[in-house]
Amino acid sequence: MPKPETVIQEHADIDERIYQVRLDSGLSVAVLPRPGFTKAYATYATHYGSIDNAFKVPGTDRTVSVPDGIAHFLEHKMFEKEGGGDAFDDFSRYGASSNAYTDYVSTTFLFSTTSHLQENMDILLDFVQRPYFTEENVAKEKGIIEQEIRMYLDMPGDRLHSNLMKALYHHNSVRLDVTGSVESIRTIRPEDLYLCHRTFYHPSNMHVFVTGDVDAERVIAQVAEAQASREAQPQPPIEREYPHEPAEVRESRVEYRMPVAAPLFMMGFKDEPNHLKGRELLRREIVAAFMWNVLVGRSSSFFARLYEQGLINNRFQAHYTAGLTYGFSVLGSETPDPERLEAELRDTLDKLPISQQDLERQQRRELGEYVGLFQNLEELAYVHNHLVFRGSSLFDIPDLIGSIRVEDMEEFRARQLSPSQTAVSVIFPE
Amino acid sequence: MTEGAVGFRGHFEAGRGWYCYPTKRFKTLSVYAYWLNPLTAGETSGGALVPQILRRASQSWNSTVLVERRLEELYGASFRAEVGKIGDQQLLSFQFDAVNGRFLPGHPDMLSQGLNFVREMMYRPLTVDGRFDRAIFEQEKVLLGRQIQALINDKGRYALNRLVEVLADGQRFGISRLGTLEEAERLTMDDVLKVYTELQRRCPLIWFVVGDVDPNAVQQAFDASPEMADTRGPLATMTKFRPHGQARAVVDRQPVQQGKVNLGYATGITANDPDYPALVMYAGVLGGFPHSKLFMNVREKASLAYYAYARLDAVLGLMIVGAGIEFDNFDAAVDIINQQVDLMRQGSISDEEMQFTFKGLTNEIRAENDSPGRIIGRQLERVLVGGGPSGPQLIEALSQVTKQDVMRVAEQVRLDATYFLTTDRQGQSAAQ
Repeated sequence: MPKPETVIQEHADIDERIYQVRLDSGLSVAVLPRPGFTKAYATYATHYGSIDNAFKVPGTDRTVSVPDGIAHFLEHKMFEKEGGGDAFDDFSRYGASSNAYTDYVSTTFLFSTTSHLQENMDILLDFVQRPYFTEENVAKEKGIIEQEIRMYLDMPGDRLHSNLMKALYHHNSVRLDVTGSVESIRTIRPEDLYLCHRTFYHPSNMHVFVTGDVDAERVIAQVAEAQASREAQPQPPIEREYPHEPAEVRESRVEYRMPVAAPLFMMGFKDEPNHLKGRELLRREIVAAFMWNVLVGRSSSFFARLYEQGLINNRFQAHYTAGLTYGFSVLGSETPDPERLEAELRDTLDKLPISQQDLERQQRRELGEYVGLFQNLEELAYVHNHLVFRGSSLFDIPDLIGSIRVEDMEEFRARQLSPSQTAVSVIFPE
Repeated sequence: MTEGAVGFRGHFEAGRGWYCYPTKRFKTLSVYAYWLNPLTAGETSGGALVPQILRRASQSWNSTVLVERRLEELYGASFRAEVGKIGDQQLLSFQFDAVNGRFLPGHPDMLSQGLNFVREMMYRPLTVDGRFDRAIFEQEKVLLGRQIQALINDKGRYALNRLVEVLADGQRFGISRLGTLEEAERLTMDDVLKVYTELQRRCPLIWFVVGDVDPNAVQQAFDASPEMADTRGPLATMTKFRPHGQARAVVDRQPVQQGKVNLGYATGITANDPDYPALVMYAGVLGGFPHSKLFMNVREKASLAYYAYARLDAVLGLMIVGAGIEFDNFDAAVDIINQQVDLMRQGSISDEEMQFTFKGLTNEIRAENDSPGRIIGRQLERVLVGGGPSGPQLIEALSQVTKQDVMRVAEQVRLDATYFLTTDRQGQSAAQ
């Protein structure tokens, strides 16, 4: 069998290159060396997040639904090891700091280290492929995750967003909290976790990314060797079931009370189901970021007007988020008068002019932020993985920034601001 | 005169100074400036309002829109003007981060752009007849009041602030960095102008530059700058926490979903104390990492919490332990925390715990080098506390710490206050 070939992509202007390879097991690996950095940062991520809760059991025709929050639960449980101890300890032995997180579309395991890269890589590549779930250790985790959920329940910004997502979406599981609920996680059993692990933690559904002062060829060779020794059985593509989602929102308004000082306001705009992916999806994300910055960003006169009227504060922001099956924008902040703020937004957003100068300022800003990304290894890895699971790559960004025109923003505004696709979430003081 | 730690050029003398950390590691350039102002009861909100006002407009960019557009033109440079606190000092920070011109079209000189921008915002505010713009003043005053009221929104931070208040019991470090609502509402233009004049003329001033720059160019820029010419007020000596001596307990009730327990301990050891490295090891073994006693026992064994930690305030000589728990589990959680603190005193610490903690701390300290913000933070703390090891020297000192050293500092760690934020509903428990 021929050796898989490493492809090197280069962005000479900023002196960056990325090494990428897909191994025989199906695992894809990318290394972005950052010479001069003290630490190395590695992630091992699966294309499996909170929205993947219905799927075909591999090798059968049977479709199953698993409890909400199971991807996040599985992330917690992967650290547990057969025979006691956990992966945290293994990393501690080599001075690395480790962690993991789950979002709508992926679960990511990571470490950061300033020594023993090879040993820590071995630990990462091993523990994520070695599930160990028992009745007892699953029961124990429920207490811990219940406290995690309750911590989020007390965070007003989190509640505001969570309520908005439930109003925007009828069926798509982006409407649910990534952690699931106290009730849903109580129903999780070891066999559910094994099934999800077997289905979604197959190398062909996963990606390794390493950055920092590292030797790319050596890292790739190490991952290839670890994979070869595992001899993963080939697996057909995973069939995920996503329910049909109507274009309209489920509810146009949702209100809630909590112990906060002043009301919190958030407005959401659901994007039409579009099935964009790869560079097209990335382009949509950049167009959306430009448009929101031009309309209500801190450099806009509309932001200044709302701020000077005391309707918003410095934390007011707008942004667009998308995956392969969903896309939406949110904007908001604390406000003394949610009704007036809402009226201002509804009356004004579709009327504000977008000029060529606005576009050029956004292009400059975005280019600066892109270069700055290579400075922060955690953020770099986050954006890289985000793009990998959507079918594009970091080095696509500069070209796309240059390709955007004022008309792109106008076109996106026209589709995004439709009233039937808009919902509002408000939290009032208790 | 305080020289810079490893990697730094520059000095601090007679109330003002600058430090430069030249490195090719970063593609960005950071220019930060700090003013220090003693926290004083009844006179804190004025200081908090100054950066908010200065941030809004200057003589060259006379509206907030123009300031923001200027930053976008500088390829998305970021500028933050904020108020914080360190020990018993209010810390006003002005932080500019931008991409190094080397990586941008036309290769702009971002060092002078950054220095000019920060200076413009600090020293050339938009004024009319020597007074701040009236509308900006009024708007920011209202927002400051709201910001103070909104402190209850973040329950974790709220609980922490309340514990610090209880511990301080009148000592100045307990004063909120924003002051109180009454104070903010009373502020007049004259009050704020008085604080601003004091900051401009007399309060200690420290600059930092981190990035791929020529330190001689940085030195020339500061040598030529008028605000660095005159001597200023000296850095105040940081006052250590004076413990109450008797452990107090305070409970607050709110309609919350999770209880927050926070315990405050006097350590008596600050960053320039010879025992500081031993205390860092102590706090690490107790609650700095996933292998630490608190995480292992409160979370992994008893399943009581998602987080459980211990952390130090190296300026005040204070340690805080915290966890988020079920309301009914307060006694159980405090019992476990007390047991773990007792075990530290008895020296029930394995070699593995010592090794893992040393390695984990080494990793954290070394990794500071990869973040301009943390490089600056480390040097700032060193200047303010008056020395003490940091970076490689701290790692070296930690490597010498023995279990006996840890037991010795454990003897000095004394519980001073317990704080619990819990539900205001009768009989509410987990079993819903």
